Amino acid sequence: MGEFESTLNRQQAAIEAERCLYCYDAPCEAKCPAHVPIPEFIQSIRSGNMHGARVLVQEAHPLIEICGRICPEEEFCQSVCTRAKVDKPVRIRELHRFVTDSTDAAERLDIPAESRDRVAVVGAGPAGLACARELRLKGIRCEVFDARRLGGVPAQEVSWNRCPREVQEREMHLLASKFIDEVHIERVTDVGSLMREYAAVFIATGLPAESDLPIDGVELVGVFHARELLRTVKAGMASGTGRRVGVVGGGNVAIEVASVLRQEDPTRDVTVVYRRSIKELKAFREEIDEATRLGVTYQFLAIPDCILGETHVNGLQVTQARLCEEDESGRCRFEPLPASSYVIPLDTVVIAVGQRPDDDVFHGIGRSSSGLIKVGENMQTSMPGVFAGGDVVSGARTVVEAVRDGKKAADAIVAYMAGGK
Amino acid sequence: MYREHDLSYDFLGIHLENPFILSAGPPTDELDMAVDGLKAGWAGVVLKTTSVEENPVNLKYPMMSSFGTAAHKVWGLGNIDLISRYHIGEICARVSTLKHLFPSKMIAASIMGSRKEDWQSLVWQLRKAGIDLIECSFSCPQGSMGEAPGKMLAQSVEATEKVARWVKEAADDTPVLIKITPQVTDIVEVARALQRTGVDGVTASNSVPALIGVDVETMEPRPSVWGDGAYSGMTGMAIKPLTLRTIAEIARNVEITISGNGGAYSWSDAVELMAVGASNVQFCTMPMHYGFGVIRDLTSGMADYLERMGFRSPRDIVGKALSHIKAQEDLSAPVTYSDIDLDKCVGCGGCFRACRDGGHRAIVWDSVKRQPSVDTERCPGCGQCMQVCPVNAIRMKEEIDQHLHYFEFRGAR
Repeated sequence: MGEFESTLNRQQAAIEAERCLYCYDAPCEAKCPAHVPIPEFIQSIRSGNMHGARVLVQEAHPLIEICGRICPEEEFCQSVCTRAKVDKPVRIRELHRFVTDSTDAAERLDIPAESRDRVAVVGAGPAGLACARELRLKGIRCEVFDARRLGGVPAQEVSWNRCPREVQEREMHLLASKFIDEVHIERVTDVGSLMREYAAVFIATGLPAESDLPIDGVELVGVFHARELLRTVKAGMASGTGRRVGVVGGGNVAIEVASVLRQEDPTRDVTVVYRRSIKELKAFREEIDEATRLGVTYQFLAIPDCILGETHVNGLQVTQARLCEEDESGRCRFEPLPASSYVIPLDTVVIAVGQRPDDDVFHGIGRSSSGLIKVGENMQTSMPGVFAGGDVVSGARTVVEAVRDGKKAADAIVAYMAGGK
Repeated sequence: MYREHDLSYDFLGIHLENPFILSAGPPTDELDMAVDGLKAGWAGVVLKTTSVEENPVNLKYPMMSSFGTAAHKVWGLGNIDLISRYHIGEICARVSTLKHLFPSKMIAASIMGSRKEDWQSLVWQLRKAGIDLIECSFSCPQGSMGEAPGKMLAQSVEATEKVARWVKEAADDTPVLIKITPQVTDIVEVARALQRTGVDGVTASNSVPALIGVDVETMEPRPSVWGDGAYSGMTGMAIKPLTLRTIAEIARNVEITISGNGGAYSWSDAVELMAVGASNVQFCTMPMHYGFGVIRDLTSGMADYLERMGFRSPRDIVGKALSHIKAQEDLSAPVTYSDIDLDKCVGCGGCFRACRDGGHRAIVWDSVKRQPSVDTERCPGCGQCMQVCPVNAIRMKEEIDQHLHYFEFRGAR
């Protein structure tokens, strides 16, 4: 408590809290995938009842420390704040963060005795942890499997700058010590055998595989994959990248790895190479702003042709693109301009063009063409008793959406175990 | 540069360049502060209450405290101040200096005594110094002098009348105001007693006896003086409604000049005090908060108001609202209901919730459109929804024989 400076101090938080209109059917709360009771916790900030605020947030959401820092509030709660119709939205995420920064985790928990039947949760990221905690709160014994460690993407890839180590570890410790009966660090590839031992299984293994760039030169020394790099740096090791880095991609991971590499060495040139324009970047504004602040530069309208070099990377050949009509998502399509190729001199290329589920696992469970697990309305897969959620179902999404899936699946699992379907 | 509406008028034979006076309190307790206030444009000062030379004044610090919210800290201000530590000799010297420096401003002083000879000696000395007006504090809530310390003089009608006669006798043709407290059973009785004495008017009113707060962790009252506290006199915005009622009640019943005091924070607050019967308005808490410079907004706001309303002088405002103030049973009984302007409504649902839990369950909430609507059959028109609406989208529609009248918020509030 108190080690990290919140973005709002006590007085600023109290004043900001007074701006909340305390809407009757709060649209912020409905928009929050985890349904954090926003007006109520803000009311508690207003009255100085910080413990009460903490309990409200913590009950709704197992990963409140990290979400108070990285949740893209402009996509969720703040995007629908009624106060915006008066002047501007209440700074909900910063108030949330004020709660977590100024209080200790509420540990006086009333957790029911655990059941004889056990549930296996495969994947200890936000979705898996949310499911496990929810099940445990409903009295169901839960065991968690993960190939690496507790915490998933936030723990392994979100940089310490965005969410400090102590904060993340404190949160994981609370979850592990209070809600999870056993953690197995092992990679699960087959759910059939788990189903013989457990009453139900929840798969939330995320997107561990990184997509490759289908061009020549990806085998050269100096070519990296973005998420692997993020894990390396976060583990405290040097990235091993050079002086002139090109990050290929236009999503959150591309922007984040670019920021992390600039932070590691502010004298290094880091350029994001993207096929479309600044408007089409699929990253949260806050992350783009942060990258810009750190000195990340951009090469827009550049389609990678091949990575150049003998044994080591010495450049990236690209063709210039032009934007055309909008696609169904409202983003512009692009097409190459003839005879417009040029070379960007680089000694490092980082590939950040997407991620997908492992494809050699969970045979017998229905998947989409892109490898994502298909689920029904109640998060159940094609195999009875096996449920799934998080990125492995929806593709890359946010922490809070994974939490929503985990909570929803827990309800469905309880219903399933009670004999429903 | 910009020529403003003339705000000057006559008050008890004294020329006032505008209706705004610095009242007896910290802003007038030092000569240089009074000078600065008058230079800034205040029409006059009432120097902080003084007493005879032998009267001991034991001040305790800290003396100020306040209550409010995070965004609005000083909703009410409290003090455990007493009268000035400067005695009559010093005050008379200041009166001469100020009269010399500001011949066209109103230089007044507030006094407090116990025995007849004290009161009268204070008055004589001030008259000799050239005072324009004498105010008598009968209502300092933090302690008094004389027969019943701790009790305000103005809480005894008999004592009030007796002392006021002493003062007026000594004052002769120098105008005298008696500063009274709202903390009495019948304010009209007090005002009538004063009218009988021939004093020139009343200052209505003073700070209100209060306990500003308690620290819930240490159990110490606010302000905490070495762990203990005393009752405060409360001033500031929180007491404006009490002052309005006090002034109105006197003005409706007694033919006596009133100087308004207590809770005014803006030119429009001053208009309100004058509209219910005050001839001018004294300020203390507001300049203590924002400085003497606020006079500029007070005068320009008042000038614009007079212009807009077609009033020639601030005096034209005095008592203008009184004919509308009646006993509850004498009010009309229109058919009333809540009228919501959906173009202004932001859809917070505050009115719905307030009506559901504190009104008459007459507002229907459309959770799809996120919009309220009024069930006019159920709505008696209590007006609670209108109070909680954050964007003033609600007014009360009143109807008698197809004639309409509205109760609504105007302005920025």
